[in-house]
Amino acid sequence: MPSRKAQIQKQLVAYSFIAPNFLGFAIFTLVPILFAFALAFLNWDGSNPITWAGLSNFKDLLDDDQFKAALRNTIVYAAGTVPLTLVCSLFLAVILNQGVRGKGFFRTVSFFPYIASLVAVAAVWNMIFNPEKGPVNMGLFKLGFEKVPGWAADKNWAMVTIILFSVWKYMGYYMIIYLAGLQGINAELYEAANLDGTNAWQRFRYVTVPQLRPTTFFVLVMLTIQCFKVYDIVYMLTQAGPGTATLVLVYDIYNKAFISWNLGSASAVAMVLFILVLAVTLLQFQGEKKMQ
Amino acid sequence: MQIQSKGTRAATTLLYVFLILCSLLMLIPFLWMLSASLKYDKDVFVFPIRWIPSDPKWKNYREIWTKIPLGTFIKNSAKLTVIVTFLQLLTSSFAAYAFAKLRFKGRNLLFLGYIATIAMPWQVYMVPQFIMMRAFHLNNTHLAIIFLQAFSAFGVFLMRQFYEGVPDELCEAARIDGMSEYRIWAQIMLPLSAPALSSLTIITFVNTWNDFLGPLLYLTRTELKTVQIGLRMFIGQYSSDYGLIMAASVVALVPVIVVFLSLQKFFVQGVANTGLKG
Amino acid sequence: MRTTKKGIVLMLILALVTGFLFANGVSETATPAASSTTTLKWALWDISSTTYYEPLIKAYEQAHPNVKIEMLDLGSADFMTMLQTQLSGGDSSIDIVTIKDIPGYNNLVKKNLLMNLNAKIASENVDTSLYGGTTDQISVGGNLYGIPFRSDFWILYYNKALFDKAGVAYPSNDMTLAQYDALARRMTSGVGANKVYGAHYHTWRSDVQLFGILDGKHTIVDGEYSFLKPYYEMILNEQKDGICQNYATLKTSSTHYSGVFYNNSVATMNMGSWFIATLIDKIEKGEADCKDWGIVKYPHPEGTASGTTLGTITSLGVSNASKKKDAAFDFVKFVTGPAGAEIIAKTGTIPAIKNDKVISIISSKKGFPTDKASAEALKVTKTYLEMPLHEKAAEIEVVLNQVHDEIMTNNISIDAGLEKMSTQVQKILNK
Repeated sequence: MPSRKAQIQKQLVAYSFIAPNFLGFAIFTLVPILFAFALAFLNWDGSNPITWAGLSNFKDLLDDDQFKAALRNTIVYAAGTVPLTLVCSLFLAVILNQGVRGKGFFRTVSFFPYIASLVAVAAVWNMIFNPEKGPVNMGLFKLGFEKVPGWAADKNWAMVTIILFSVWKYMGYYMIIYLAGLQGINAELYEAANLDGTNAWQRFRYVTVPQLRPTTFFVLVMLTIQCFKVYDIVYMLTQAGPGTATLVLVYDIYNKAFISWNLGSASAVAMVLFILVLAVTLLQFQGEKKMQ
Repeated sequence: MQIQSKGTRAATTLLYVFLILCSLLMLIPFLWMLSASLKYDKDVFVFPIRWIPSDPKWKNYREIWTKIPLGTFIKNSAKLTVIVTFLQLLTSSFAAYAFAKLRFKGRNLLFLGYIATIAMPWQVYMVPQFIMMRAFHLNNTHLAIIFLQAFSAFGVFLMRQFYEGVPDELCEAARIDGMSEYRIWAQIMLPLSAPALSSLTIITFVNTWNDFLGPLLYLTRTELKTVQIGLRMFIGQYSSDYGLIMAASVVALVPVIVVFLSLQKFFVQGVANTGLKG
Repeated sequence: MRTTKKGIVLMLILALVTGFLFANGVSETATPAASSTTTLKWALWDISSTTYYEPLIKAYEQAHPNVKIEMLDLGSADFMTMLQTQLSGGDSSIDIVTIKDIPGYNNLVKKNLLMNLNAKIASENVDTSLYGGTTDQISVGGNLYGIPFRSDFWILYYNKALFDKAGVAYPSNDMTLAQYDALARRMTSGVGANKVYGAHYHTWRSDVQLFGILDGKHTIVDGEYSFLKPYYEMILNEQKDGICQNYATLKTSSTHYSGVFYNNSVATMNMGSWFIATLIDKIEKGEADCKDWGIVKYPHPEGTASGTTLGTITSLGVSNASKKKDAAFDFVKFVTGPAGAEIIAKTGTIPAIKNDKVISIISSKKGFPTDKASAEALKVTKTYLEMPLHEKAAEIEVVLNQVHDEIMTNNISIDAGLEKMSTQVQKILNK
């Protein structure tokens, strides 16, 4: 039965582990975030004195066309990108974890989209998917399609373009994470399954997937948050266009914060984004707990 | 870690074909980048795409070093990236151990708080953070970037998930042996987490190397700027030279690829022998 | 025993971390020993590609040996955002501010970041009539917060070689929009790689929308945009008939207007006068295929005088938080005055003071077209600012850009688009 003193000591030890990271994090990130939260109830343009706004920033959002479009688009984007990326990256990781020759090469190559400068990659993606002259549409023409998608220039296809690009870009990143997870699976489990005479798919379903649960949870949470926070990709590919077809929440925040310098309104949108992400993450946490 | 004991010839060939197609898919933008880096700006965006420039402008690779102080920028990027990565690895794995293996008051709440902050896009708290940093006189210092990037919730999250997969019995046995928590972390957890640490290294490296908005805001003196800001300098108010941008992008890619390739083998190292049987 | 050991380990780690930080992070803002030299910091962009900064600074420092001007390059792409962020919270490190656009200027004024220059203008006898009325257009309630030092206006560039080849007479300095459209259609020829487009519209909305404000009857912040219909129609028809390149293609391929002009693939192009300096430079370096070009005055609607065109001004201001306001204003006065104007003109850029001397400097610069019409084209009679000074300019511009994008990509009809524009802008105006 551990004494009171020993218990307190244990707590202190635990806190000492967290301290270095948490201190830096608290001072440089947490404090500004808390201030940003407060800003949602205030009016500020960065220079003039701050005034009280109460709930007016939020009330204005109800009638804000930009915000409403951004909310809708962001949810659509996340709903499309998360599942696709997860499946693709897991698939890729599993394949590359096999005794495939040239494994190192393939692994490096699939990581390329993630590490390259977004400016360059977005430029070439747009070229390839150029509605009039790009190779993709030229190819579709040759195959006999009369009506080809307008990709980034078509309000019905712009979001698809962004989703495809995101999956392509993130696949390698999450593959790395899955690879680490796969490496952590005890080889003996597979040997045992082999002895039971199972086939590849069964081994995947009953050994790999459950063992990967912590990793999958991580990927799911990070991917979701990343999707809700998307900005750079939209900026490079479509500049939120055509019209507001690909306007996302962070884009709206940027417009409000740095074009209109209405920091209070921007923070209000950020709060909505935050609550949305929190809700989804909590759901994921619940799901994870239930599985344990 | 084979889940496929023996594939048929056809299946293996199919696998390779698929992998090669995938690789092409991944590589095409890079081939385009390489090709564009040797072109004059006016030829970069011409259709149909000329993969091999008829008159390669090798000069681009020389110009990028003289038009902007690319050497200085690379040095700065390297310095920041190495320091941030090191600090991240250290503090994240340290904190993650506690979150995964130790019991203490407020553990779950604190962890949730960590993750919650990841949800906030940086653009939202950029201005208050900037004003605060400036009040600390950290404006125009590399230290500002280090402080902003080194203590991330992401690293803690990643390592904690990995540690969750390490059996508790390992730590218990060590505790019974009289090891302090610090020793457990240093001598047991850390070595086991080579794959996760490699992942975190690569991801932190890439993120810091490619970070654009942070350096843009905090590093306004030219001698402090980083590679990504340098790339944007080729996009002027009235003209852009995409040939130079691509050449500089190719050069900027090299260190990242080197890091990735050298850490690759750590993925191969598995949790070979955990010391626990059955 | 355990506690001490634990404590030591903890200390070691903290020391390691802290040591690392301090070893690498000593503030690098080394302040030079302040003697009697006044150092002024000038916030601007594109140091490496702008040719007039150095000569201006050199000339000023020579005349004022106890003043040093330090340049701060905030990058062109996000300049106004970066500037406002740097100035937020009362920062005093920047003295001289370059004001890149009107919406940004408006924001700076609203946030009290710029010094009110009225008193200085009076006491230093600055003659604002030299600026052709633009200072009136940027006065806020009778107060001036910036003085223009460079002005650009829109003209029509044309490729002489292509006109010669087609046997068509060059454009004239007095063309209506109808005549311009007809000319563009005449000059369009060829297919595929040999295609020559009669006109070229860059993806900025000003390339298309602003034909509509030339008759002076409307402004772009009116809130009612049906007046833009004929101009959108003209250009969308040109796009449909292949007279100019497709907007969607241009946007997604990041095609820059300079490239297509250098490549001899467009016969005429409407663009701002800033392109003159770039064009001259590229031809000299041998990086442009087109060598023979000219300019004429901007095409105008029927009933409007020729020489009416769109303009943008770049101004200099003094930061309200600066501790060296007098010294800063003195530099501003120099750059925006006649002496500065001549230095700027010598680099091929059009200064805000456009007297005859300045015009002759520019037109006699090596590389500038030698025909008389081009020199004539530099003389403008009336300039309308691309974006007038308005409280909600920045927000309105977001909507204008969005709907322009939709109309030009044929995602919405012109009528529906202009109505959307009107409704959304009115909402902003009524807030």
